[in-house]
Amino acid sequence: MTDPYRVLGLSPGASDDEVKKAYKTLAKKYHPDVAGNSEEAARKMQEINAAYDQIINHKSDYSSYSGYSSSYSQYSQNQGYSEPIELRAAVSYINARRYREALNALSSIPPEKRSGRWYYLSSYAKAFSGDSQGALNDISAAIAKEPGNMTYLAFRERLMGRRSEYTMHTGTYSNSPAGICSSICLSMLFFRFCFCMI
Amino acid sequence: MFGYLTADTGRMQKEERALYKAHYCGLCHILKEKYGKTGMAILSYDMTFLEMLLSDLSDSRTEEGMEKCVTHPVKAHRYIVSECTEYSADMQMLLAYYSAYDDANDGGSSQKAAKLEPFMKKLGSEYARQDEGVRKALLRIQEEERNGTKDPEFMARLSGEMISEIFVMDDRSFFADDLRALGFGLGRFIYLMDAWCDRKKDEKKEQYNPFGRDTSWEQAKDMLMDAASDAAAAFERLPLDQHVPILRNIIYSGIWMRTKREERSSDD
Repeated sequence: MTDPYRVLGLSPGASDDEVKKAYKTLAKKYHPDVAGNSEEAARKMQEINAAYDQIINHKSDYSSYSGYSSSYSQYSQNQGYSEPIELRAAVSYINARRYREALNALSSIPPEKRSGRWYYLSSYAKAFSGDSQGALNDISAAIAKEPGNMTYLAFRERLMGRRSEYTMHTGTYSNSPAGICSSICLSMLFFRFCFCMI
Repeated sequence: MFGYLTADTGRMQKEERALYKAHYCGLCHILKEKYGKTGMAILSYDMTFLEMLLSDLSDSRTEEGMEKCVTHPVKAHRYIVSECTEYSADMQMLLAYYSAYDDANDGGSSQKAAKLEPFMKKLGSEYARQDEGVRKALLRIQEEERNGTKDPEFMARLSGEMISEIFVMDDRSFFADDLRALGFGLGRFIYLMDAWCDRKKDEKKEQYNPFGRDTSWEQAKDMLMDAASDAAAAFERLPLDQHVPILRNIIYSGIWMRTKREERSSDD
């Protein structure tokens, strides 16, 4: 497998800041308005996305690059089973981070034909397009269909982890939200900055 | 329903506060330039958040200046503008119009909507995607409100749809989906927070509110946390490196300000 740092044009062990800078620069370089709509540019973009995910998200032990693609090929080999075209399309969309199109592709499979994998892909696309509840429902459905599948279990863990990561962060601001609403400051916001600031 | 994406300024460094303020004044500067006094009157923190987010992400060139204004007539203050400021000002106008339109629909005055309407023709064609996103979702929300749908999560997702397209300045960029997810999470959050804070007033006036009378704060907080965590997950994936402390302050603390400020006082 290609070294993700090299894909971003960096040397291994570059800092997160350098990774972000490089990613931003490459995102501009391979923007469809600049690089055109060629397949080559799209493939490159996928590679860059995956490399970035791999470096930035490696702590949570997930990436569409290593984890995702390899489990995909393993799956098809082990099962000796060719995947419906809709699922393959969904995988390509997911790898290109086009989650809504992935969901569209998936929706063309009728409910009675939806496998554990279908629910996994659907959960995945939902999780990254803002529907966290739908994502949790779907991953539970996937696990119900294939109870021992480690990929599904790990993904559910990851989804649940979002909440604890968030609370950990809010903890650094050390005040907890309470259910009582204030109306005073909000109405002042519309006046001017200085009321609240100074 | 706006003014929620604000900073917890008490927990900011002095320089961060100054930078935040300069961006806020930058947004005001452009609103005034493009829309005159009407523009200044719709200024909010929400779009300051969006501007700081987008300008960080696109590494856009910024311009700085000093000026006096109506609200600070004596001392000149710093303002910062970028190419994203204009976009954010336009989105502010779009949202202000639909917000006023929604108010008029709820039986409020239609004056404000009428005042903003002349700007909408140009905005609607220049930002057809965003305009359609907001309009469609808003119409759905109004319809569900008329039906009395008591499902806060469902309603919040409609609000998520309403805000998500606003966050996507460039639909073809690498970051479009993460931005959309961030906007979606924040849109959900704003709706839930707004509904939670209005529930007693709505009950008194016998107006629609998605929360049931017996919904506890723990239940509402759970939904709010879910929306906020989702937004934060998308936010953390974006390669931001300039305004991170300010943006994090807003996402992890500032958005809760409305329920924090009177933490020690009694309810109502």
